[in-house]
Amino acid sequence: MSTDGTIHARGIRKSFGPKTVLKDIDLDIASGEICCIIGPSGSGKSTVLRCINGLETVDSGVLKVNGENFGYYETETAYHALAPKKLAEQRTRVGMVFQQFNLFPNMTAHENIMSGPVLVKGADKKEAAKRAHELLASVGLAGFGDYYPAQLSGGQQQRVAIARSLAMDPEIMLFDEPTSALDPEKVGEVLMVMQDLAKKGMTMVVVTHEMGFAREVADSLIFMDDGCVVERGDAREVLRNPKEPRTQAFLEKVI
Amino acid sequence: MSGMDPALKPRLRRRSTFESVAWVVCSLAGLGILLSVATNPNFKWGVVAKYFTHESILRGLMLTIFLTLASMALGTLLGLALAVMRSSNIKPVAATAGVYITLFRGTPVLVQLIFWFNVAALYPNLSIGIPFTDIGTAIDVNALMAPITAALVGLTLNQAAYMAEIIRGGFSAVGKGQIEAADSLGMSAGMKMRKVIIPQAMPSIIPATGNQFIGMFKETSLVSVLGVAELLQSAQLIYARTYETIPLLIVASLWYLVMTLLLSYPQSKLEQKYSRTSSRLPRKAKKVVLTAPEGIAR
Repeated sequence: MSTDGTIHARGIRKSFGPKTVLKDIDLDIASGEICCIIGPSGSGKSTVLRCINGLETVDSGVLKVNGENFGYYETETAYHALAPKKLAEQRTRVGMVFQQFNLFPNMTAHENIMSGPVLVKGADKKEAAKRAHELLASVGLAGFGDYYPAQLSGGQQQRVAIARSLAMDPEIMLFDEPTSALDPEKVGEVLMVMQDLAKKGMTMVVVTHEMGFAREVADSLIFMDDGCVVERGDAREVLRNPKEPRTQAFLEKVI
Repeated sequence: MSGMDPALKPRLRRRSTFESVAWVVCSLAGLGILLSVATNPNFKWGVVAKYFTHESILRGLMLTIFLTLASMALGTLLGLALAVMRSSNIKPVAATAGVYITLFRGTPVLVQLIFWFNVAALYPNLSIGIPFTDIGTAIDVNALMAPITAALVGLTLNQAAYMAEIIRGGFSAVGKGQIEAADSLGMSAGMKMRKVIIPQAMPSIIPATGNQFIGMFKETSLVSVLGVAELLQSAQLIYARTYETIPLLIVASLWYLVMTLLLSYPQSKLEQKYSRTSSRLPRKAKKVVLTAPEGIAR
């Protein structure tokens, strides 16, 4: 069975100095699954996401992304950090969308989308340009290719950022609070693009405060608090009947 | 009372007593100094005029311009290398650059210039070759470190340390999110530097480099102590013969002033161009003409 598009974690731990931010996290995300992670700020949900893309390294535990140990290779006695080139290769298979979009301001929307395929994968420029064109259209921004990020609204920038990640043809897409920095009226357009993506069978892990999105689009839901997974299950089920008191208290506040 | 329409009356700026006094005092003082400078025969303005375009002064000016251009160009390249080293994750590399920067910024450039001129006392022979073989060649350092070489080496190495700090400052102004975005796309360290960090650091590096350039133009006068016949030394060589010290210093100063003024115009343009608000958009950006309604959905 193919392990592409899967995430598997056992007993992940992570500390920043004296502060333990992830305590024994287990995850199992199947190919094509849409998983939302919710929880109060500081609960470690963004850190989990950042570990899956190698922006943070885990201190201990098993982390397999697309079926491979992520960022490390395993021997009898230890995990050894991969060479940068190997790590970069693994990263190209996991797309990341940031809260602050992080588009390159020195490149147009079109160039931003082409940057990954051309600079990293060495793709043919013409092919990449054609693909960028299609991707822009698919996020509803056909004709915006020549604009620089500073000329676009937040919602438009975030949609370009999603297209930029998709240009690498990842098996997994990670979203770190993708709509938290947006004006309320721009949230819908980004969620719509994400919903489209979900329908196409992309594995998605979404850290979000958008309970509506979690209810309508997500397959599974994880509630995190204080570095632990407190509750997990079917998204609609958890939102309707949270079992843990901490989940209940959190949902009461945000809904 | 005239029948002027109150809505059309001009509004006048308040002028304080201090302002009026300042006008009078500064004008009088300025006038006095000007008068004294113009009438004091010891200034010998005739001599100034005579030497202002003297051949050896112009040759000195050319050498000053050459030293400025060469040491800025080489110093910037070396500074860029040092800045990249300083930002490296590899400790010994970063530390090496750190020690270099500390040494060269922590000692006077005049001392450094004299040091390089006399470096042959430490290492009389420089041999280049492959260790444990006979292949290679030895160079007489004393001959190599001619005044002009010592000047170029001294200015370049010193400038590199300052440029390294300017460039590194530019690097650190690039947001952490930009680096994470590049990482998440799988960009290599070199790619990240060339395509993401350096282009975004330029707006803060370029104006500061312009300032260094103007500073370097005047700093070159220090190499006169090595006997390099740049602008100041050329003036000194003349007044050593004619004893017209002040007029020749004025000649040199006027040239420094002229060149500095010439350079400060493009410098202020550079600063405007790269000022915070305008730098957010690359200059080649198309004007926004929204062809579709703002934030079209799909």
